[in-house]
Amino acid sequence: MIYPRKNIVIKTILQLYVRWITARYFNEINFNRISIDNHKSILLIANHFSAWDAIVLYHINRIFFRKNFHGMILEKTAIKEPALKYAGGFSVKPGTRDVIKSLDFAAELLNEPDNLVLIFPQGKLYSNMVEEVVFESGISHIIKKAENFQLIFAATFIENFDNFKPTANVHLKAQTGTDFKNISTLQQAYQQHYTQARAQQTQITK
Amino acid sequence: MIPARRVTLFSNWFAIYMRFRMRSYFNRLVVTPFEPKEGHSILLLCNHFSWWDGLWGNYLAYWHLNRKLYIMMQEDHLQKRMLLNLFGGFSINRTSREMIKSLQYAANLLNDKQNLVVVFPQGSLISNHTTEIAVERGIELLVKNIKGPCQIVYSCALIDYFESLKPSVFFHLFDCGIAGELTLEELTKKINGFHQQALKDQINVEH
Repeated sequence: MIYPRKNIVIKTILQLYVRWITARYFNEINFNRISIDNHKSILLIANHFSAWDAIVLYHINRIFFRKNFHGMILEKTAIKEPALKYAGGFSVKPGTRDVIKSLDFAAELLNEPDNLVLIFPQGKLYSNMVEEVVFESGISHIIKKAENFQLIFAATFIENFDNFKPTANVHLKAQTGTDFKNISTLQQAYQQHYTQARAQQTQITK
Repeated sequence: MIPARRVTLFSNWFAIYMRFRMRSYFNRLVVTPFEPKEGHSILLLCNHFSWWDGLWGNYLAYWHLNRKLYIMMQEDHLQKRMLLNLFGGFSINRTSREMIKSLQYAANLLNDKQNLVVVFPQGSLISNHTTEIAVERGIELLVKNIKGPCQIVYSCALIDYFESLKPSVFFHLFDCGIAGELTLEELTKKINGFHQQALKDQINVEH
């Protein structure tokens, strides 16, 4: 398992890079400002459809959540992009015993109120057009083990409309209560938010 | 109404240039296998969610459907970009009586089997995530006025990113039938059915 590392120089470079690339690529990054509890860490659950998801949420963390960003990434991605560990990336290798180690580590991070952990429970990339979001079971292990955190759902959609540059719309929802009996109840709760966000997205006309 | 002043040489250059621009901007441009009917002009109905749509119509017409492109554009949009007039752009003003003239003009273009006319049946920019395609009534008038054999094709373009930071565009092409054989209701039903199919197919695309 690859753990996050601290290096202020590399982290600053990465932060500047994210600022530059998001400003250069996107026309706008829109999100709704939900109320959050500053005394609790954040477990951010998001849909995974592109390499932009984590970058956009990293950007939102910088300007809105203002927590120490951490993200669970596949081990092969962590090896391919070694700089990600300096931006808070830690690895998971599905199908191995190491998975528990990664999930425990995520839960440990959540015990610290200054931390934010981003998880894509879908486990791999899916189309942005999916109607149903299917979760892998690991996320429920984190929720059971972690204490004193708040759960936030994010559903991201990217569209162009009449601009050359696309706009990313991130629909955030603070989930009250983190007491999910099993993975399917969590999935249902996220699905409800995702369907609502998608319906809002389709209402946009220009 | 502004009629098209299409110059074949310029249109060919434009198609080549735009393919270069698209290949640099997009990660992949994937077109589902589609064989247009021989001896038929094509009425290409596209979903409209970005300013790329018209350029994609040009790409499909030139590189995949082998027809001469004509494209119906809003009059104010065309007036701002009159260069597109030379590549087959003609105008429609939905608020004036000249709308009928534009629809008849489009129908006349489709009497020639070498031509392809791109029309956005939704009439305005609607999200790429929409599950329903509203077809404006003008399409009925357009189709009624076509005298030559004309195939109606629905192109559903969907954007996805997957592993890349560059977007990929997936064109799902469907044959809606021959003009004159369908009522507006039937056409709307078919387009919506195809759109749902495209959304389902998109989930399983290779990446």
